[in-house]
Amino acid sequence: MKTYNDLAGDGGSNFVGQVTSQLEKLRTRLDKIKHKIALMSGKGGVGKSSLTANIAGCLADRGYKVGILDLDLNGPSIGKLLSVPNDVKLNVDNDGVHAGEGANGIKIMSMDMLLPTADTPVMWTHKSGETASWVSMLENTAIRELIADTYWGELDYLLLDMPPGSDRIDNIKELIPELAGVIEITIPSSISQHIVAKSITKNNTVGVPIIGLIENMGGYACPSCNAEHPLFSGQDVEELCRQKEVDYLGKIPFDPRISEKTGNGKLFYSEHKDSPAAKAIDVSADKILNFTKSNS
Amino acid sequence: MKFLCIPCDTQMETQTDGIMPSDSKNLALKFKCKKCGHSIAMLTNKFETEFVSKIGVEIGGGSEESKSPFNMVGNTLSQAKEILNKDQPAEKKELVWTDEAKERIQRVPFFVRNMAKKTVISYAQEHGATVIDAKLMDEVRDKVGM
Ligand SMILES: Nc1ncnc2c1ncn2[C@@H]1O[C@H](COP(=O)(O)OP(=O)(O)OP(=O)(O)O)[C@@H](O)[C@H]1O
Ligand SMILES: [Mg+2]
Ligand SMILES: [Zn+2]
Repeated sequence: MKTYNDLAGDGGSNFVGQVTSQLEKLRTRLDKIKHKIALMSGKGGVGKSSLTANIAGCLADRGYKVGILDLDLNGPSIGKLLSVPNDVKLNVDNDGVHAGEGANGIKIMSMDMLLPTADTPVMWTHKSGETASWVSMLENTAIRELIADTYWGELDYLLLDMPPGSDRIDNIKELIPELAGVIEITIPSSISQHIVAKSITKNNTVGVPIIGLIENMGGYACPSCNAEHPLFSGQDVEELCRQKEVDYLGKIPFDPRISEKTGNGKLFYSEHKDSPAAKAIDVSADKILNFTKSNS
Repeated sequence: MKFLCIPCDTQMETQTDGIMPSDSKNLALKFKCKKCGHSIAMLTNKFETEFVSKIGVEIGGGSEESKSPFNMVGNTLSQAKEILNKDQPAEKKELVWTDEAKERIQRVPFFVRNMAKKTVISYAQEHGATVIDAKLMDEVRDKVGM
């Protein structure tokens, strides 16, 4: 009786061919983007999306072509941050689904752009009772499609705004093996640092380069006396960097204007360039640029 | 996954029609021996179906639809912008799917959805039907025995 290897092909499904053509599509797309960087944190709500948007704004202001892929499928926020309304008309043609264009000319793709109304949730079924493994498989496929089918044109930097947690990074590493690296974001609280430390260990284990760690909300300038006060108590974040041997990319202070809408659709970074927070973003961006330049 | 016809020692081929899942996840995939004509069905429950789908490709070969961008996302999300939903292949414009029928076909796992669609369309054409509704889909299911 014949064995598995004796049988050529798979009886008509051509799985190998399908997978190969998926990979080719992915490769052609990724080859047009010089540097791919994921911004992540083991912890939620620490400012990943806000910093992704503002760092992108900073890079765009310096003349780089920048795109942001919002990989927070269930909690997309990049569209809002860059003023791309959810009802933006989608342009679909042979090149793929064209990325939208937001503040500072930044290209974006986000689940929000695919949904019919602003309050439509991302649901993969009409019925309840889907298993977690099924939803996770669909999300993996969705991430592959978002990466392979979005038309960005040529880009210098593609920033990936990751969902909270560290579980998706394996997936990204598989799809984008040439990922320049990840930027970890933490706030100074000890619980956030505790979780981000695990995320760093994981990235080291799976072989994802770590560009460095950004400390967000690292202090608050008192509006009346201008003195800087800490917002959270916790171990010094630079100490965590030394322990984990990752670069410290800087401290972004708390600035309430980061969460405000500017009204004219501009990013905090561009609107308040002289603020300590914007200057800190500049410093982090310099370090990111240095990293990608010395590693390519 | 390959299927061998033992008496003929020949690989069985995936049948790309005759798929009409009754429930979104219980599947029946048919394989046929070209030499002796014998066919078999591989039946899977919800969990086994999920396992088969992990590979992220279509059973029976990639279709034209699967080449369109955001194919899975556009056709699987319970609500997505119209432009992403390639529910009806362009050349089959004369066939109208009722909303219920559309919803039912959308519930079929994406990696066999195009095979199921083809099965329904060819049944409708054989029977001169121009509207695909839930009743017609039930008939298809009775006919293909799944
Ligand atoms: N440096 C800062 N100063 C003031 N507010 C900030 C700062 N950084 C982030 N925020 C605010 O904190 C909130 C959470 O930020 P954001 O949504 O960017 O976090 P996230 O890590 O992306 O969250 P999630 O885990 O849900 O994706 C937002 O309201 C944002 O405006
Ligand atoms: Mg976020
Ligand atoms: Zn046979």
